[in-house]
Amino acid sequence: MRRLCNTYKSFLKAGIQSGMAYRVNFICFFIGESLYCIVMYFIWKAVFMSSGNGNFMGFNMVDITLYVFLSNLVGFLTSTDSTSSLALEIKDGSIIMRMIKPVNLNLSLLAFELGDKVMVITCTFIPVMIGVEIYRYITLGYIAFNIINFLLFIISVIFSYLIAFYLNLLFGYLAFFLMNIWGFNMLKGSLIKFFSGAIIPIAFFPEKIRVVFEQLPFASLVYTPTMVYMGKYSNNELLFVFAKQIVWLIVFILICRMVWYLAQKRLSSQGG
Amino acid sequence: MIKVQNVSKEFKKVVKESGLKGSVKSLFSRKYDIVKAVNDISFTVAKGEILGFIGANGAGKSTTIKMLTGILTPTKGEIEINGQIPYKNRKKYVREIGVVFGQRTQLWWDLPLTETFTVLKEIYQVDDARFKKQMDFFNEVLELKDFVKSPVRTLSLGQRMRADLAASMLHSPKVLFLDEPTIGLDVVVKSNIREAITKINQEEQTTIILTTHDLKDIETLCKRIIMIDKGTLIYDGSLLDMKNKFGKFREINLSLQNNSDINMLRFKEDLNLNSDDFQIKSNKEKITVIFNSQKIGVSDMLSYILTHTNIADISVNDVNIEEIVRRMYK
Ligand SMILES: Nc1ncnc2c1ncn2[C@@H]1O[C@H](COP(=O)(O)OP(=O)(O)OP(=O)(O)O)[C@@H](O)[C@H]1O
Ligand SMILES: [Mg+2]
Repeated sequence: MRRLCNTYKSFLKAGIQSGMAYRVNFICFFIGESLYCIVMYFIWKAVFMSSGNGNFMGFNMVDITLYVFLSNLVGFLTSTDSTSSLALEIKDGSIIMRMIKPVNLNLSLLAFELGDKVMVITCTFIPVMIGVEIYRYITLGYIAFNIINFLLFIISVIFSYLIAFYLNLLFGYLAFFLMNIWGFNMLKGSLIKFFSGAIIPIAFFPEKIRVVFEQLPFASLVYTPTMVYMGKYSNNELLFVFAKQIVWLIVFILICRMVWYLAQKRLSSQGG
Repeated sequence: MIKVQNVSKEFKKVVKESGLKGSVKSLFSRKYDIVKAVNDISFTVAKGEILGFIGANGAGKSTTIKMLTGILTPTKGEIEINGQIPYKNRKKYVREIGVVFGQRTQLWWDLPLTETFTVLKEIYQVDDARFKKQMDFFNEVLELKDFVKSPVRTLSLGQRMRADLAASMLHSPKVLFLDEPTIGLDVVVKSNIREAITKINQEEQTTIILTTHDLKDIETLCKRIIMIDKGTLIYDGSLLDMKNKFGKFREINLSLQNNSDINMLRFKEDLNLNSDDFQIKSNKEKITVIFNSQKIGVSDMLSYILTHTNIADISVNDVNIEEIVRRMYK
């Protein structure tokens, strides 16, 4: 176990170094995301102004502002390149360089990506969190920060990231079976954006649709952690949403293993 | 040590029909072509041996290496290396081998070379003392010092190849597979790599299997070669035997002042050579004469050509491997 940790820790460290190599990318990305949040904020503001009483499906203006910034933060923290990094390795055949090493393919990709993101995460997470709390303090007049919600939020984000990672990996494995996964990748992106609550909070959908959406794995990606932070769940609901996250994570890990097994057979009969 | 028995490898290739109609059709029913990349090959390798694989492009060398390293599963036949079956329990098996694919790299593109070594150290659990010893050894034979701090993407091909070789050796594998380790390198780096391979083989009794298109590699490194052509093993033995068996062919490249002079070269009539013993190839710029130097000495051949033609330029070379393969196959 210790040995195993050291192995993947080295991937993590390598990832950190590699992440440092692309600082400029990150800055551009950060500016883009911030602009997106501000646009979303004004759109929702317009919606709320026109609805009159300033309350919509249990959300007030402060809630929705919080939601816009938090959901974007979560979306960002849990974003993953696993589809493209895996697909690229499959396409150019460099995946064989991973196969000649005594490591688990999925775990080594995961460890490396985590390392790659460490800097980016610290550079966004802390400022956005502080910003959100300052906003709440100014508009509400009291400190609304809740340490328990915050800790639960962190746990939930970790689960979301892992689910996102394995879900995306699954799309990456498609490259073994399809010549070009570009189209699928686009489709996946929009599906996740829509079903995860990154654009519209799932709570805003009509009851029947909402119940369905909440059971899908996508809700676990963005909606769940955001709502956890905002304290929108009762204790029972909390148990339920965490259980769902764990179940989906296990499901995706298992599917990924199975697909990798099939992919190896495929590689063997048809080549890369 | 290494036992390969009646191994074959077939690939299924999807046949694409052309045009839109073809693409739509292929969605529903796919036609496959079977490509026989390796065909019923058997051989064994003893511990500490260096074995060279040669053969023309597409002969099946890389495919064989991929099967030996557990990346591909043979369609038929058995492989046993160190008592293990490569494609079963691959993760355990690859601990004991080192692999270099000359056309690819196992180094981390964006990171300094040292970082790759650190990761490998952890993966293979090389302890500190051993790690230091290995690195010193690599510095000595491969001269990595000058560039270990540079990101891999900034390395030259020769530097990268040396680093790749070191990376494959860090954990002192029992068997080393090198698929074209000298591809694209200049003469100096090539000989540097050859020296390193020799030292590695001597120091650690590492069994080495390598493929190459460079006859020099084979001559300096391998006592034994295996030649494959179109997936079939056509020769297994020493290089010396092969040369003796198939004649010591030499190659003279010349350009003539007057191209019609080529008709003046009548080896059969003037020199009593059989048609098996020589061959003339010509194109616009140059003429290549390949001949058996055991039947006619190089100096005799040269003076014959010089007296019968007006040459602009001339050079004598060893015949390349492809030519030998071609001749053997005849
Ligand atoms: N993944 C694959 N799918 C289909 N056919 C393949 C695949 N890999 C190799 N082949 C075919 O198998 C044959 C042998 O290829 P291989 O790469 O082993 O040749 P090689 O001896 O290494 O040649 P080279 O000297 O050019 O590297 C070729 O005809 C090639 O087209
Ligand atoms: Mg090859």
